[in-house]
Parts: sequence; structure tokens; C-alpha cells
Amino acid sequence: MSEASVSLGANGELRLAGVLDYSTGPALRAEGQALVRRSESSEVVLDCSAVEKSSSVGLALLLAFMRDAKAAGKNARLRGLPADMRQIAQVSELLELLPQEA
Amino acid sequence: MSAENDYAVELKGVTFKRGARSIFNNVDIRIPRGKVTGIMGPSGCGKTTLLRLIAAQLKPSAGEVWVNGQNLPRLSRSELFDMRKQMGVLFQSGALFTDLDVFENVAFPLRVHTKLPDEMIRDIVLMKLQAVGLRGAIELMPDELSGGMKRRVALARAIALDPQILMYDEPFVGQDPIAMGVLVRLIRLLNDALGITSIVVSHDLAETASIADYLFVVGDGQVLGQGTPKELMNSDNPRIRQFMQGTPDGPVPFHYPAPDYRDDLLGGR
Repeated sequence: MSEASVSLGANGELRLAGVLDYSTGPALRAEGQALVRRSESSEVVLDCSAVEKSSSVGLALLLAFMRDAKAAGKNARLRGLPADMRQIAQVSELLELLPQEA
Repeated sequence: MSAENDYAVELKGVTFKRGARSIFNNVDIRIPRGKVTGIMGPSGCGKTTLLRLIAAQLKPSAGEVWVNGQNLPRLSRSELFDMRKQMGVLFQSGALFTDLDVFENVAFPLRVHTKLPDEMIRDIVLMKLQAVGLRGAIELMPDELSGGMKRRVALARAIALDPQILMYDEPFVGQDPIAMGVLVRLIRLLNDALGITSIVVSHDLAETASIADYLFVVGDGQVLGQGTPKELMNSDNPRIRQFMQGTPDGPVPFHYPAPDYRDDLLGGR
């Protein structure tokens, strides 16, 4: 069983860490949704810099958190998208839909 | 052997028999990781059987089949179930469920193998269909699709679980030139962008040679030759040359063994 976590950082960023796959995805989805709701900052930064490995599930999580942010009237930005997530995003022509930090 | 070695799949001394007939006899095949490997040979030479041995749908009569560092014939049922998640297979027929629409066909492995919520299944299905250019076909039923589209939907389904190994069984059969070009491009893209190990079983020489980094030619239950497409084209082995150059007669005879023609037609009965 893979290990992963989602937590709220000091500056209100949503920090994803560990292995994002089919076993960790469902719990991360539920926990992340609750954290986005609880967050008081006006913007949701989805920080992937501690992600060790990700399948398509990682990208589905980002999309889900972006929808949560939108529903809460907040902007979402991505930080530190790792190479494997970037490759999957590229094959699925998703990169331009993901608002990444410069 | 570790999962990190250079070979994603290794067949060691594999023999496979149907009744008394040997389909494969003490065959060794090593499939390099992250590359496109073609397995070629005339129709009926056992290529699909080989694929089913690698996919653990068949057990060898003797020998070892190593996939990502695990010897398949030794795995338990539940270990095999997990192992199959690492492998995607694009069957020759496409094998779509005819009573499910395109969306549900691609969602099927996600529903069976994961506990993801519906919204994430939808995200992944849309991503996979976008990759094969058919997101707009999501509500169509299989009988509303062309042959080429069916195969692309089947490909989206085969990559739904992000497999490390992707196997294609005669992907080019019955495809028009445009659909064929689309498939060749997709196989290469998925392989290179996602680091997948691709195994293409085919008798379509030109397409397979154009896409494969490495080729095996099988026939008579043996590996007749292996190498890069260029090496095989220049092979000294007359059987390989006959296959690579597509000449109808040679060491592999045009005629299946038959009684004498004259006797058959004019002999006393």
C-alpha cells in the first residue's frame, strides 16, 4: 500500500506528498476537499513539490481541487509539478488547463 | 532479478503445448524496458499465445515468465490480479463491451480495480479519451464507431490504469492508412512520453518495423531471429529474409504440406 498525505501549509497552500495512485487517491480526495473548504486564504496553491510518484490519479486530484477552489470562489495555482505528472498532463493535453506558477 | 533491471519481461526456456503439439519449444525472449518491441511472424505462429503467456492468461508447460521481477507461473491468484493492473492489453478485436457507451467502456477498469469517486473516474476517462482524440465520442455506442475509432477507445481503456507494460495484439489489422498512421503515432507517443514498455505483436511488417526499436521474428515454435529492424532486414538467415522481404515462397513454403496434387485430383479413389 502506497503512502501519501495532503495537508495545509503555513501560508494556506495545499501540500500533496508521497505517492498519488489508485490506492491513496480516494482518501486524498476527501481530505483535500475538506481542507480547501476550511482554508481561509483567498487563493489555493496546490503544492506538488513533495510528490514522489504519481499516476493519472494525481492529475485527477488537482482537477478536483481546482473545482473545489472554483466552487469556493477562490483562484487556484499549481506549484512544483513533478516530471511524471507533467508527462501524463502532456499526453492528455492538459498542461494548458493547469495554472502553473512561473 | 530486480524490477529495476533493463528488461521488463523475460521468458526463460518457455515451452507451451496444446495437447501433443508444441506451440513454443524452449524459447528465450527478453523485452527491453521503456522501448517498443515488435514480435513478428507469419499468421498462426503463436504470437497471440506469446502475448497471453506474458499477460498471465496462459501458463507455460515449462519455463519461467518474468514480468517486472516476478515469475508469473509462481504467483497466487491475488498477486496475479495485482500484476495485471500493471499490464494493458489492446486486443485484436478491440473487445469493447457492446452494450456500454464509450465512457463506460473506458471507465470499466477504473470501476473494477479502484475505489475512486465518480468525479475522478470521469476526469481520468476524459484525459485518456483526449489522449486518443475521442473525448467528443464519449456518449457513442461501439456500433456507432468506425474500426479505427473502436481501436482507439480500446487503447484509452488499456491505458486507464496507467500500465507499465502495454501489449498490442495485431493493432494494424483491418485499419485504413489514416487510422494506421494515427495508431503508429499513438503507440510511439505513449511509449516515449510515459516511459511505458510496449510490445507489438503483428505480422504487418512495414508498420511494425517502422515503429519498433527491437524485433523478434518467431516461427516453428522458435525465435528465428532478433535485432533492430535494420539488422533483421540485412539478416543472412534465409527464413528471416523471406519474412522481412515478404516473398511468398522460400524456406517457409507457400503450400501447407499436402498430398501430391495429381494423386489428389486424378489418383484412384
